Amino acid sequence: MLTYLRKRIISSAVPLLVVIVGVFALARMTGNPAALYLPLNATEAMREDFAIRNGLDQPIWVQMAQYFGGVLRFDFGSSMRTGESAADMALRAFPATLQLAGTTMVIAIVLAVIVGSAAALKPNGILDRFCSFLSMTAASIPDFWLAIVGIWVFAITLGWVPTSGVMGMAAWVLPVATLVMRPFGTLVQVVRGAMVSSLSEPYIKLARSKGATEYRVVGAHALRNAAAPGLTVAGDLTVGLVNGAVVVETIFGWPGIGKLMIDSILQRDFAVLQACVLLTAVAIFILNILIDVGYALLDPRVRPSAGAHKRRKARSEFRGQSNGPSTPSAPTANNPAAAVLDA
Amino acid sequence: MFNSKTPIQRTRRISMAVAAGALLSTTALAGCSVANSEDAAGGSAAPGAAVSDTLRVVLQQEPPTLEACESNLTSTGVVVRSTITEPLIERNPTTGELEPKLATEWSSDDDTTWTLKLREGVKFHDGSDFTAEDAAVTIERAVNSDLGCNVEGYVFGDDDLKVTAVDDSTLEVTAVKADPILPLRLSFLEVVPSETSATEKVREPIGTGPYKLDKWDAGQSINASAFADYWGEAPAFAKANYQWRSEGSVRAAMITSGEADIATGLSPEDNIGDRGVSYPNNETVALRMHADKAPFTDIKVRQAVNYAIDKESIVASLYGGRDKAAAQLVPEGVVGHSDSLPVWPYDPEKAKSLVEEAKAAGVDTSAQISLIVRTAQFPKIEELGQVIQEQLSQAGLNVKLKMLETSQHLTYQVRPFPTDDEGAIMLMTQHGNQAGDAAFTVDQYMTTKGAQSAFGTAELDKLIEEADASSEADRQAAFEKVFQYQNDNVVQFAHIAHQTGMLGIAQSVNYEPNSSSGDELRLAEVTAAK
Repeated sequence: MLTYLRKRIISSAVPLLVVIVGVFALARMTGNPAALYLPLNATEAMREDFAIRNGLDQPIWVQMAQYFGGVLRFDFGSSMRTGESAADMALRAFPATLQLAGTTMVIAIVLAVIVGSAAALKPNGILDRFCSFLSMTAASIPDFWLAIVGIWVFAITLGWVPTSGVMGMAAWVLPVATLVMRPFGTLVQVVRGAMVSSLSEPYIKLARSKGATEYRVVGAHALRNAAAPGLTVAGDLTVGLVNGAVVVETIFGWPGIGKLMIDSILQRDFAVLQACVLLTAVAIFILNILIDVGYALLDPRVRPSAGAHKRRKARSEFRGQSNGPSTPSAPTANNPAAAVLDA
Repeated sequence: MFNSKTPIQRTRRISMAVAAGALLSTTALAGCSVANSEDAAGGSAAPGAAVSDTLRVVLQQEPPTLEACESNLTSTGVVVRSTITEPLIERNPTTGELEPKLATEWSSDDDTTWTLKLREGVKFHDGSDFTAEDAAVTIERAVNSDLGCNVEGYVFGDDDLKVTAVDDSTLEVTAVKADPILPLRLSFLEVVPSETSATEKVREPIGTGPYKLDKWDAGQSINASAFADYWGEAPAFAKANYQWRSEGSVRAAMITSGEADIATGLSPEDNIGDRGVSYPNNETVALRMHADKAPFTDIKVRQAVNYAIDKESIVASLYGGRDKAAAQLVPEGVVGHSDSLPVWPYDPEKAKSLVEEAKAAGVDTSAQISLIVRTAQFPKIEELGQVIQEQLSQAGLNVKLKMLETSQHLTYQVRPFPTDDEGAIMLMTQHGNQAGDAAFTVDQYMTTKGAQSAFGTAELDKLIEEADASSEADRQAAFEKVFQYQNDNVVQFAHIAHQTGMLGIAQSVNYEPNSSSGDELRLAEVTAAK
């Protein structure tokens, strides 16, 4: 596993470098920030002063070298807009986004597993059809519309929750509820599909014939085998949220990194933009590794070769304890029967 | 048969538990500061709960800084000016008169050297006394230093001021040349203590205003409280809380739901209903025509543009009759505004005939005109651009609408203008004169080399120079002449409307907005409704 992680880190270094260079170059192609920061009637001398103060008078390669040197020291420079350290601004905003994304995904995954599993029990039944309708609706609703309607219904008309902001736990309800919809809708469909497939496998029939409870059949056997595609999709959805739930952050005044990134793009605040993009890229890189690791743990077929030794060892221990069949015991599609051995 | 779990199964369960735990931990720990934020009153806010001693204001955006020398920026000034800090002289936004603030009187014999008598018994929020030394440092810092203060570029230009603290309560300010509106310029400077850094900007200033800053929770809110040693009348609210939401409908909803007392930057489309109060905001919308390319090379075409646009209908249909059709770049209340200057009448037939005349004179009237409009600059700007495009097309002109985002639009707004654009340029511009004197408009918009002027004439330059140098009653007449000359002989602009802003004001408070409310919301003027 360590070899696998090492390889993943090395292979991710190149895209990370591309991101660092790309954001530096693209940001500077969007125009001179002096026009945005100085009064319209600023004189030429003032524009020159501004360029010197912000290092924009230097050749582009010098600016890039300074930027790279700063990145290595985790110094992204100061915000042109606020005068604060860009790294501080990005680090201050990022936890707010992580909180929102984490809460959203926990709720979405739990709900999707429950609803998707229930729907899969009787494919094409009334509950299944209702769940399909529910999930497709949830996945299709535009979040800005949902957010505004949510404010009018639950904050203004009913007065149950605040319209926006971060003050108190009640303020979390509308942003999280708005954000949950899309991942929930998508995941329900994925979980339902995988569960329908799992529940029709022979090892499920075997489990039932052995007298396993329905809860155990669904929760311990079918769900475990159906988890891999769900994890993949959940990972992608989490990456999207970590990248900044811009619409929700904007509407609800949530001080997250998505809103900060958009503001820094619009304001040509290069230092903050670079800090935000790099921080997000690193977070997504780490998240992707976690997803890969989780996927490998769930499905031995995708486990890296470095894990083969441990897997062989595990199999050997398993055979030693059981004196049972010499087939691999991992409850996968390759050998689903193994899944019911502990039923 | 096999009751014990296999190692792989155990590993899987442990790993999944760890993953779930990690996700939950991330959620719980990643930013506890957000989850446990407290409201202005120090407790968890119940929705709609009004806090009687706290005035709650919701702004369009978080101030980038509260640095006093950046307070001419709307997003900074709306919090700082005359609330946290105060100027020496204050302009009454309704009458346009200059009124005493930290300076009680001012005078000059030659319009070059001005002597200001300063108010005594004034304290800063840190407990120190306000003296002429503080006023001198404030001016030095904002105008003469290398800090790059925004107010320097906006009001003072490259010329420095000579500042002398004659004694504790007397200040002498000398300009490079005669400047009859130097007191007006000084009204843009918010006074800070002499200990304030002269080499770095300060995000949280110490002032003499009725409120002092308590806490700025970056990204969330700013809290202030009434300053106990304030020299003037104590404000009605003991505390003030600023929040910000970029969505107008959310700001309006905060008023409706009782979460805020005042919301800035609203429009009727935000569903604010009766709680929306409109006010003239000193902004004027106009089209600036660049006369370097056909068909704008001929004044007849520029006149035709003015006749072709139905300003009254635009104001009535797009802006609910709140705005006012404009004949000049400055609204009522600004020195130099002419009440007698007529709005160009809507006369589509006259517009057509002028275009035909130009065509007969050899002007290529079919040449493309690029109408440059900034996306979301003000409400319904896209619709306004489309209406203008259609009306000019009916007059026989070939107009292409180009919607641009802010920074692209700015390349057309300020010199040097792009030269590779297709056809003639017609820029939709929104100009706000918050200074109250036409000099701040005409110098940049109408002189031959003005930063935001596409062209001019030697005669107009001369008139502007004379107006700039004139004082008091002569000044008003001189600028009226400038605006008249623009409309009669230059026609660089087709004026559309003087705009209005809108505040959301909750039933719980009384406040009468004025033309400066969007730039400096003086909290001391807000009282609790009985």
